[in-house]
Amino acid sequence: MKRTHVTVLGKRALAVALGVVCAVGLAACGSGSGSGAAATTAASGGGQTAAAPAPGGGDDKTIEFWHIATEGGHKVKVEAAIEKFNSTTQSGYKVVGVPIQNDTYKEKLVIAMSSGECPDAYVSWSGGPMNEYINSGFARELDALFDATPNKDKYLEGALAQGRLDGKLYGIPYHNTSISGVFYNTEIFAKYGLEEPKTLEDLEKICDTLLENDIIPFALANGSKWTGSMYFMSLAARKGGLEPFQKAVAGEGTFEDAAFIYAGEKIQEWVKKGYFPEGVNSLSEDDGQAKQLMYQEAAGMLLCGSWYTGTFSDDSKEFYAKVNWFSFPEITGSGADPKIQIGTVGDQFISMNCDGDKLKAAVEFATIFSDDDMIQVGIDNGTVPPFKGVVDQLTDPCTVKIMQAAADAPEIQLWYDQYLPPAVATAHLDGSQEIFGLTKTPEQAAKMMQDAMAKYNSESK
Amino acid sequence: MTKTATTSLQRKRARETHVAAAVFLAPVVVLLAVFIFYPIFDTFHISTFKWNGIDANPVFIGLGNWAALLKDGAFWIAFRNNITIMVCSILVQIPLGLAMATFLDFGGTKKLNVFKILWFIPLLMSSVAIGFLFTYALATNGGIVSTISRFLGGKNIDLLGNPRLALFTVIMVIAWQFTPFYMVYCMAAYTNIPMEVFEASIIDGATKPQYFRHIALPLLMPSLKSAAILSMVGSLKYFDLIYVMTGGGPGTSTELMATYMYKQSFKNFNMGYGSAVAAGMFLLITCMALATMRLINQKEG
Repeated sequence: MKRTHVTVLGKRALAVALGVVCAVGLAACGSGSGSGAAATTAASGGGQTAAAPAPGGGDDKTIEFWHIATEGGHKVKVEAAIEKFNSTTQSGYKVVGVPIQNDTYKEKLVIAMSSGECPDAYVSWSGGPMNEYINSGFARELDALFDATPNKDKYLEGALAQGRLDGKLYGIPYHNTSISGVFYNTEIFAKYGLEEPKTLEDLEKICDTLLENDIIPFALANGSKWTGSMYFMSLAARKGGLEPFQKAVAGEGTFEDAAFIYAGEKIQEWVKKGYFPEGVNSLSEDDGQAKQLMYQEAAGMLLCGSWYTGTFSDDSKEFYAKVNWFSFPEITGSGADPKIQIGTVGDQFISMNCDGDKLKAAVEFATIFSDDDMIQVGIDNGTVPPFKGVVDQLTDPCTVKIMQAAADAPEIQLWYDQYLPPAVATAHLDGSQEIFGLTKTPEQAAKMMQDAMAKYNSESK
Repeated sequence: MTKTATTSLQRKRARETHVAAAVFLAPVVVLLAVFIFYPIFDTFHISTFKWNGIDANPVFIGLGNWAALLKDGAFWIAFRNNITIMVCSILVQIPLGLAMATFLDFGGTKKLNVFKILWFIPLLMSSVAIGFLFTYALATNGGIVSTISRFLGGKNIDLLGNPRLALFTVIMVIAWQFTPFYMVYCMAAYTNIPMEVFEASIIDGATKPQYFRHIALPLLMPSLKSAAILSMVGSLKYFDLIYVMTGGGPGTSTELMATYMYKQSFKNFNMGYGSAVAAGMFLLITCMALATMRLINQKEG
């Protein structure tokens, strides 16, 4: 009796032990898959990834192009460009597009790269992640080939600048121009006699008026973290310009600079006054919980990227007709140039991982987006492609205003969370969410970010 | 003479059994080796490199990642959160599951089939679907909880955005998801109690509570113990629902070891360190599971 009991227990122990192994094995898979990949890459020869074999081996006249244009106008545009290239090119190559959901795109790309299956051409948002791809040998320097293309002079310099690393071009901009700014409901503003603010004090007065009338000043869904970062970036840029940020990144300054502390303190002041929706840190941008507040007219303003013009007009033309936009107002006496903008000129850049004729054909494909008919497709679908003269073709008043601000900007800083090295970007996003949650002081959040930056700078030296 | 013949026959039979066993086990062993043991081994291997996950030349740094892991406050916060989930899961899910199973068992299964089906439904849903469902239900912006609260004259209730409540909110959702599993588990255990035992106790004059306390519970105990270990391991490696509902936030309030591993590996381009986190998880979970089992076995003795 006793003995059988022990055996049963023994078996159960074994079963549970196996269960544990499976469980952790699965957890380990995420990183495990990457590693198996490393072995493949190493085996496929010579450290350098230069000649990563085409996936599946087969037809090497095919350029595999990964992108995230899975819906709406973006999809129309990318499909039109692929269609046009395939029917007109003399290169003998054909582009095959692989649309991938935005949410998992970066992870899929990392896994593909580490398993030697990196696509021939792929989109990224430039900045930190693109630099990782470049430094790991998955992006080619494109200057010579790009300069040989007929459309090279149509590109905005600011757009090309964001596709460069150390002065060399690795990503060709193709999609959109987005800067951060404030959208507002003109009917609500008219009802309470409000006007677009010139200074931060004006903006705060508007917020107070809205609050008195039970309207949430700012629609914000900060569960997604980067949405709240927009406020932080705007406040810091208006307080100190871009110099504190650039110095902090270079290791000459610090994220504990007064401009960043000010941004954090201002946000906390606004949180305490009730300028943001209740439970702001649990609302999700991906689920549209910020724009819903705008549609319900429960909120009066929304600070976000200017791609929201497309979002609003896609969702409801009627609502979009009520919307107007202003650039984040200046802070009186700060001395910072209020024309500086935060955002992206290009919003997605095409990088290449192929060589020789194929690379040439891929560049030909990437620049097809600058053909006049492709630009028109983009404009018709509510985007502002990053090319010269596009502003003149715009008719939508809101977009015209935004693009004028972008054109007037002496400098456009790429979003912090895109620009910074990934680990620092995470520290920034986590820290700014805690600022909104009042769980960290601006000083603590700044220190967290500075520590991550210092660690990165010391490791990369 | 006959004796040796028998022995050799026995040997032959034993050999054949071994061959058969090897043939039948081979596929499983190969699958385990490829998909479980190799990844685990490789996780430890990668954890000795500084590697962004894509570079062809990882830099060997020995135990550097491990030294960093031991000092990494964020990892230990995640571990503490895991422990909280584990304790709460065991204390909530198993008693609740047992109560539901007892209710169904005592009530006679036929009559209560409706409950059985209703209670079982959460287990059939995918974690991601449950995550989205509850994100909407708990939203301050028109979610059902806040709406009810406002209807009753209260204020919006922010369960997921408040760092002090977020973890417990998620624990409740996890309980909603997994309690049905323990209900089924306990129902199966109940069916293992022979009818004679029940009849004998009733003939001896035991009431239902007495039967439950003195007969059924001791007989269910071995099952409950393995349920506890299952729950423990499940809680320590938990990922999907948290990832969907909070992404580990706000701040680090719902960060778990697995979400932290994911963040390091894929968001921060820190595959080497992410692997150290995964390997650390493996060691912690294995040790805790083994220690718990030893504890249970001792009590048995």
